[in-house]
Amino acid sequence: MIEFKGLTKSFGKRTILKNLDLKIEKGKIVFILGMSGTGKSVLLKNIVGLLKPDSGEIHVNNFAVHQLSETEMMEVRKFCGMVFQQPALFDFLTVFENVAYGLRKHFNLEEEQIRKQVKESLELVALGDIGHKWPHELSYGMKKRVSLARTVALKPKILLFDEPTTGLDPISTNRVNELILNLSKNLGTTSIVVSHDMESALSVADHIVVLDGGGLLTQGTPEEMRTSPVPLVREFLLEVSE
Amino acid sequence: MKLYYFLFELGDTLLYLKQVLIRTSFSSQRREEIFEKSLEVIHQSLLTTLFAGFFVGAIMTLQFTLQMKMFNALSYLGALVTSATVREVGPLLIAFLLSGKIGAFTSAELGTMKVSEQIDAIRCLGADPLREVIVPRFLGIIIASFFLLTMGLLLSFGGGLLMAITFGQLHWEQYISHIPNVVHVFSIVSGVVKCLIFSLVIATLCTYRGYKVIGGAKDVGEGVVVAATQTMIALVFADWFSTFILEGLLNG
Repeated sequence: MIEFKGLTKSFGKRTILKNLDLKIEKGKIVFILGMSGTGKSVLLKNIVGLLKPDSGEIHVNNFAVHQLSETEMMEVRKFCGMVFQQPALFDFLTVFENVAYGLRKHFNLEEEQIRKQVKESLELVALGDIGHKWPHELSYGMKKRVSLARTVALKPKILLFDEPTTGLDPISTNRVNELILNLSKNLGTTSIVVSHDMESALSVADHIVVLDGGGLLTQGTPEEMRTSPVPLVREFLLEVSE
Repeated sequence: MKLYYFLFELGDTLLYLKQVLIRTSFSSQRREEIFEKSLEVIHQSLLTTLFAGFFVGAIMTLQFTLQMKMFNALSYLGALVTSATVREVGPLLIAFLLSGKIGAFTSAELGTMKVSEQIDAIRCLGADPLREVIVPRFLGIIIASFFLLTMGLLLSFGGGLLMAITFGQLHWEQYISHIPNVVHVFSIVSGVVKCLIFSLVIATLCTYRGYKVIGGAKDVGEGVVVAATQTMIALVFADWFSTFILEGLLNG
């Protein structure tokens, strides 16, 4: 379970998250929606310790993340993976080495086992035969899928997605949504997906959270969201019906 | 406010240097990476450095030839040019050139890695970006810059000699005859120590500036400009300071 208590984070004079309280249940797929600049990505980066809160608490399973040092965070990052908004592939490594990177750093695995897991992960995102290529040889959509494979290869219990389908074609978007569903169903992975895509949220999420002005605006199941009277939610729904 | 900002930046740079030095290791894997980075930097800058080194010597010879002729002391030309080049002008000018070439490349590369979330990804995938990304570049730049500066100085001697023969109508034996009287072992040590200090300055400031970039493409550009400017200012200061200390040691 992931829990935020009174989370506040500012950059200079600008407060991005204000006293946010939120609980995310184990094994659920939670979509976080909201306008740009409402702190969705900041929320994810706080979970994996890439940013530290100014005040408040973050609990991930039994770890009080807000109190952990960079070295102690390594334990959390073993079971909590993040797919970034940008593909963030390492230019100096091939696709295979990019996907193998986390396996080599986090776990003491045999080379054969690494090969197997890399192959499986690339096949999950339908890119089985591009291990030898360099990131600059791939399209943006392919890079995003490799980035997804790199995180999934670690088989994390918690997966954080920062706008995973932005810039992807509809077929790739469906594939990513299916992957999130399958990981949740087969491995019991908890997924937190930051997105602007209400359509994906309604079809994939167990729970939808809407942030606005650095705080929690509303939350509920997809069914509850469909009938929500909240204006911002209605605006998001309008885009789906269009 | 500006003084506060300067002191903050200075403190942060020193803390960064400490963090990098703590993580420095020479394991077999790391040695390979450092060697690769050194070769990459040398490959990028060798020709330019040799070219610059050669012309530093040549220009110094041209500048001194007329004055030495006036005092009928042309036989001292080689000694004067070599002494000035090895102890002062050579290391500084070549270091300026390297700070533009290696420094701009490194700060842009690291800045881009930072804004494209590659550094964050490294942290999430269980590695320490300082250890994995910065240390090989930092040590690679130091080794390569030191090598390049030394090669540049050797070429500057060649440039000076060639110009003295062609422009000053001096025989090569005349050119080198008084060098041992003016250029002592200490002069060479002084030049080599300066090369080492300048290499450290370039490696520290350029990796630091790139690593600290936050934002987007515009911020990477700004980071590169700041890296180049600060490195040049720091090189001038390091030159003055090292001369002050080294001359103190010589005379003390």
